[in-house]
Amino acid sequence: MIELGQALVFGILIGGVYALMATGLTLTFGVMKIVNMAQGAFLIVSTYLCYALWQHFGLDPILAAFVVMLPMAALGLVVYKLVIERLERIDPGLTIVATFALALITEAFLALIWGPNQKTTTPVYFNQAIHIGQLVVPRAQLYACLLAIVITVALRQTIKRTWLGHAITAASENPEGARLVGIEPARVGAWIFAIATGSTAFGGAALSFLYQFTPDTQDAWLGLTLSVVILGGLGSVAGAFAAGVLLGVAESLTTAYVSVRWATAVPTLLILVVLTIRPQGLFTRLTRQDAAS
Amino acid sequence: MITWAGWREKCTPLRRAWIPVALAALIAFPLVSGDIYYQNMLIVTFMLAIGASGWNIMGGYAGYLSLGNSLFVGLGAYTTGILAAKDHVSPFLGCFVGGLVAATAAALLSLVTRRTRGMYFVIVTFAALQLVGVAATTLSGLTGGSQGLALPLPTWSLSYQDWPFYYPMLGLLVVTVAVAAWVRRSKLGMGLFAIRDDEDKAAGLGLRTAVYKMIAFVLGGTFVGIAGGIYAYYVTFLNTAAVFDIITSVLIVLAVLLGGRGTVWGPVLGAFIVAPISNLTSTSLGGSDAGAIRLLLFGGLLGAVAIFLPRGVLPVLSRLLPTRPPVPVQPAHVPVPAARPVEPSDVLVVRGLRKSFGGLRAVDGVDLTVPRHEITGLIGPNGSGKTTLFNLIDGTIPSRDGSITLAGRSLDHASRPARAHAGLARTYQLPRLFGSLTVVENLVVPERHHLWSTRVTPVERARALGVLDNLGLAAYADSSPADLSYGQRKLVELAQVLWLDPVLVMLDEPAAGISPALSARLADLVRSLHQRGVGILLVEHDLAFIADLCQRVCVLANGNVIAHGSVAEVSADVAVVDAYLGDSVLPAVRS
Repeated sequence: MIELGQALVFGILIGGVYALMATGLTLTFGVMKIVNMAQGAFLIVSTYLCYALWQHFGLDPILAAFVVMLPMAALGLVVYKLVIERLERIDPGLTIVATFALALITEAFLALIWGPNQKTTTPVYFNQAIHIGQLVVPRAQLYACLLAIVITVALRQTIKRTWLGHAITAASENPEGARLVGIEPARVGAWIFAIATGSTAFGGAALSFLYQFTPDTQDAWLGLTLSVVILGGLGSVAGAFAAGVLLGVAESLTTAYVSVRWATAVPTLLILVVLTIRPQGLFTRLTRQDAAS
Repeated sequence: MITWAGWREKCTPLRRAWIPVALAALIAFPLVSGDIYYQNMLIVTFMLAIGASGWNIMGGYAGYLSLGNSLFVGLGAYTTGILAAKDHVSPFLGCFVGGLVAATAAALLSLVTRRTRGMYFVIVTFAALQLVGVAATTLSGLTGGSQGLALPLPTWSLSYQDWPFYYPMLGLLVVTVAVAAWVRRSKLGMGLFAIRDDEDKAAGLGLRTAVYKMIAFVLGGTFVGIAGGIYAYYVTFLNTAAVFDIITSVLIVLAVLLGGRGTVWGPVLGAFIVAPISNLTSTSLGGSDAGAIRLLLFGGLLGAVAIFLPRGVLPVLSRLLPTRPPVPVQPAHVPVPAARPVEPSDVLVVRGLRKSFGGLRAVDGVDLTVPRHEITGLIGPNGSGKTTLFNLIDGTIPSRDGSITLAGRSLDHASRPARAHAGLARTYQLPRLFGSLTVVENLVVPERHHLWSTRVTPVERARALGVLDNLGLAAYADSSPADLSYGQRKLVELAQVLWLDPVLVMLDEPAAGISPALSARLADLVRSLHQRGVGILLVEHDLAFIADLCQRVCVLANGNVIAHGSVAEVSADVAVVDAYLGDSVLPAVRS
């Protein structure tokens, strides 16, 4: 019973972190319908940048994320202008290929700069835990999960409440209509892509003290974040959070009752199952748009 | 002096000749030169060319990109390896079992595409590769896991060098390219190109798209699976991380994009460029950074090709080369099909059809009947549910509530292609034609049986020209739909419908945006269809067109049929006026 409870606690905490890692993809894939295969690479770049700030200046990774956010957003802007805007017009399939190529290039650069060995940041809280009864709540996971909630709520409010959020939604649902009312989809696209890429800084920071990381783990993180977005239903920030928790619990239970080795297969297995049975995601209802496309 | 045209003339025989010449050179090479380095390089090149040609059937023809084709290489290699290491099966036999396993995996994966499209397929293949990679590492009892799996060493005399790998691989390449070429020229290939252009429309014409996609993906997986088996014996040692490496997929995609997606020879050309580069870097680069530099090189190449050369080398070159003019065939004056045997007088009966999107009830319990003897019009304000109703009837949108009966047959559980086969045909508000096919091919594409025969048989061509001639389009038979005017495209879409010889035709705003002359011609055509006993359901905003053509009109508002009768009757109906103009004008109309 305690084992199950503990697995659930770990699962929920890590699920929040998964949702945080997937925030960028929720926006690009979910709202803009652009499959950004470089999400895992962007995430791991953020991780290395947070690592560098922590190593050289002793900056806490969570605080470092607020610094890393800016160059990441700039990177997103450049990638959107140079690659995505151009290829989406020709063939969205090519965007997928090009962003995947970008992921490989990024992985190569990281390996050339930091080498292939495992790294991690160790802020004071990284191996401390709070005990509630017999349950252990690791502080690192707890802080990461709280960060996830803050960022998720902030992004959700941005989409629901601000002009930019409305413009984003309008431009992704009906580019022609958006243009008629004075929203330039390409410009909005560039902004949203920059925000999405910038937001990977927070997921990357959490990753830096929760996991050992190497450049070649980017494709595993890509698989995980795709899984979160597909399970959650495209573009649903709340759905992504629920999906993250579901994935976290499923992995944690697999680790506890099956084997830690199979736990890594959980996200990809869920992608295949959900796309076969319920492609609109687990937490969203079918809309007319989905049916017609 | 050689003129440009003269050069182009000379090219045609040259182009035919280079294939046997190149093949002869490849056959002779190991016998003439004893250089084992180049022999090995060619073996790897053949392997990549097989993978690229296979990938191209699904990725190039049907437009379904995959990042997971290393999966098939790995499955083929491990099946062969395990059979050889544990059961002492010769790898040259085991590789066929490997091909079978790869084919099964491809068939299973293509099932996922039944409900999802384009971009999801990339994710599915990517996820499947990761999943199988994890499984292969974890099931170490079977695969040796990260320790690796050693195959028995070859036992033939050293004087044969690597010939026993070289010739089977070359043979397999020839077979793969032949199959890819054959598919491209067959009805299967025509259907795959139609799927790439507009999958929904293809399904609406009765193309069983799921079957087409499955065949395409299985063909692509099988050959590279067999090649993976031979490759396993060639390297004699398998390691899960290397065998299921996504880099293999990347090289395959790179070869196809570089050479030319959708062409027969592009993937082969691409492989002959990419594999030697890959071979060179893996032998000349050393040190701890070698892997990163290779990644940088191939990632960079892939990105550069996608951005700067998206069509590939071969299509760009082939624009300079001449194309063969099509063989002219006289349109056959096919007799108009005799009226169908007498069937129930109501062609279409819809009862209690319902569909909600979120909280919006787009279609809310519609009852509708299309009798054979009356052309039925469907009118209603924008947003009243007309197009949704069409989409429900033809199966674009699945419906759970209500029943649809076509000429006495229930369509409730029929898929979209099955509804087309039952005799349902429709047009769209904006014509949807297949841009990669000619006008004739646009008609002929929904062939139901002989997937392997040539794209357009002479009999089909004659019949298609007959249909086009009736619409004044025979001169455009071999044009691309992109070269036609808007009105002509609408007529071609109508020709597609006529080709199907349907029981019921649903026309979505046929007169919108076309000239009055064309509109009159269209009305004549609809009348003649009606006289042949075809049921007609017509959505139109042009009330004059409706009044001229339809004996009976149904009015839809807020997802309900609010009135039906003759045009005069419904225009007098208060509810109809209310629906079109709103409450506020109602008193004015009444007074």
